[in-house]
Amino acid sequence: MVGLDAAGKTTILYKLKLGKVVTAIPTVGFNVETVEYRNINFTVWDAGSQDKIRPLWKHCYQNSQGLIFVVDSNDRDRVVEARDELHKLLSEDELRDAVLLIFANKQDLPNAMSAAEITDKLDLHSLRQRHWHIQSTSATYGEGLYEGLDWLSNTVANKKSNPIKYKQHETQLGNTNNNISLVYILAWMWELVR
Amino acid sequence: MFSLSKPKWSELYVKSGPLGRLEDLLGQPSNAICADCGSPDPKWVSLSLGVFICIKCSGVHRNLGVHISKVLSVKLDEWSDEQVDLLVDLGGNAAANLKYEALLPDNVKKPKPDSSIEERADFIRKKYEQQQFLDSSLQTALVVQSTRHGHSHSGPLHDKRHYDKQATTSRIHGLGQAFHIACLQPGMVEFVGLIKVNIVRGTNLAVRDVMTSDPYVILSLGQQSMKTRVIKSSLNPVWNERLMLSIPDPIPPLKLQVYDKDTFTTDDHMGEAEIDIQPLVSAAKAYENSSITESMQLGKWIATKDNTLVKDSVINLVDGKVKQEIVLKLQNVERGVLQIELECVPLSQ
Repeated sequence: MVGLDAAGKTTILYKLKLGKVVTAIPTVGFNVETVEYRNINFTVWDAGSQDKIRPLWKHCYQNSQGLIFVVDSNDRDRVVEARDELHKLLSEDELRDAVLLIFANKQDLPNAMSAAEITDKLDLHSLRQRHWHIQSTSATYGEGLYEGLDWLSNTVANKKSNPIKYKQHETQLGNTNNNISLVYILAWMWELVR
Repeated sequence: MFSLSKPKWSELYVKSGPLGRLEDLLGQPSNAICADCGSPDPKWVSLSLGVFICIKCSGVHRNLGVHISKVLSVKLDEWSDEQVDLLVDLGGNAAANLKYEALLPDNVKKPKPDSSIEERADFIRKKYEQQQFLDSSLQTALVVQSTRHGHSHSGPLHDKRHYDKQATTSRIHGLGQAFHIACLQPGMVEFVGLIKVNIVRGTNLAVRDVMTSDPYVILSLGQQSMKTRVIKSSLNPVWNERLMLSIPDPIPPLKLQVYDKDTFTTDDHMGEAEIDIQPLVSAAKAYENSSITESMQLGKWIATKDNTLVKDSVINLVDGKVKQEIVLKLQNVERGVLQIELECVPLSQ
């Protein structure tokens, strides 16, 4: 779970885990908790997000199946910055197969942008070959969080049961498995002759 | 300072750069304590209100929303000139408290450094959101906006129904074991600092293919690891790649492993090195709050036959940053030298 600083990530994490609102101080580091919901264990990493520590997100999202990106819907000045960070993340190889859930958070604050407005400003419609979903939330009032997790668990589960792409891969691999030692020798020779 | 014998452009630049000016501002006595609770050495700022605050009060400020308080970190955010100008114009803690605490009644006690979050939240909301202590002639439209909004909460937002959906949860142990667990908040693993590693180059590396190798470096510290890109067919690769890791406590050695990338077989080992970064971290902590902008040498390790250094390694203070250059012989390999540069950024809150 990432997003700009003060988007509400830690508050969301502890609302999900403890069922109550904690006054979060800025996360200088990270929080990691498992949240069990509908018999699925979500391991949620909540990473600190001030400018200079954003490069450390890399250590949190390795092997992630889902990316939750949290936006402060009340912060109109920084929605462009949020868009840029999001698109930078989505170009990362480790997140190639991750599904994307956007929390348009802080809907309880005045002048909050709607989910539709944020979809537009984050340029979500430009995303190709990415499962994504945007959910309006208010972490303070617990609104929308579980609806988001419902989408996340359904989408990850569907991806697992219909991995068309991967099945094709397996068939190809099946043929080569019989000749695995030959492949190994060829590869070794390739390194030598190159 | 501006003598002609020392035309160090970089020093002048840093002094007048945003961070230098911000630190000058922090150096003023009224900004040396949190504007709300009086905690020493505040490292957070409300840019819209113009106050220096501690990390605990900053948590409350962030809850008010950016339309009231926009919080930035002195250390962890990139500051622009415009942002520092704005802060300078607002006048810091002394000017802000004159305004927001003009009519502070005797029976209202300001929070103290050890006050609970609830006490802070109560005071901070009264002070800035409701502007109860503001000279009424100075009150702005902000009050109208925030009180109108205060009643809009009870609309469609009900959260009770969610509680029963929630089943058991458990905290993960072990993942953060290598890290210093801060007491600031339950569950938070705090970074004690950041280390920026520039993998500069390799020289005379070992041959692992026929005539050459395809080298890359794996850098690891505790449980974190990162790789450089592969440089094709080179025994003298120049990576110049900057990688960043957080520093756990206790501080493990920084490990560097060089490998030859093979397309089909397992990558071949090309040597390794281990570096004790404790001295660098100690030096960085010691000079964290120093206002010295001149370059100076903080420590030196002499290259000898007993250690792996190829040339003397020096810890320097450069433009307020604590850096160390290291050139060392790779171990467990027939040959090869690696050149790296380290920079440590301590993160005490």
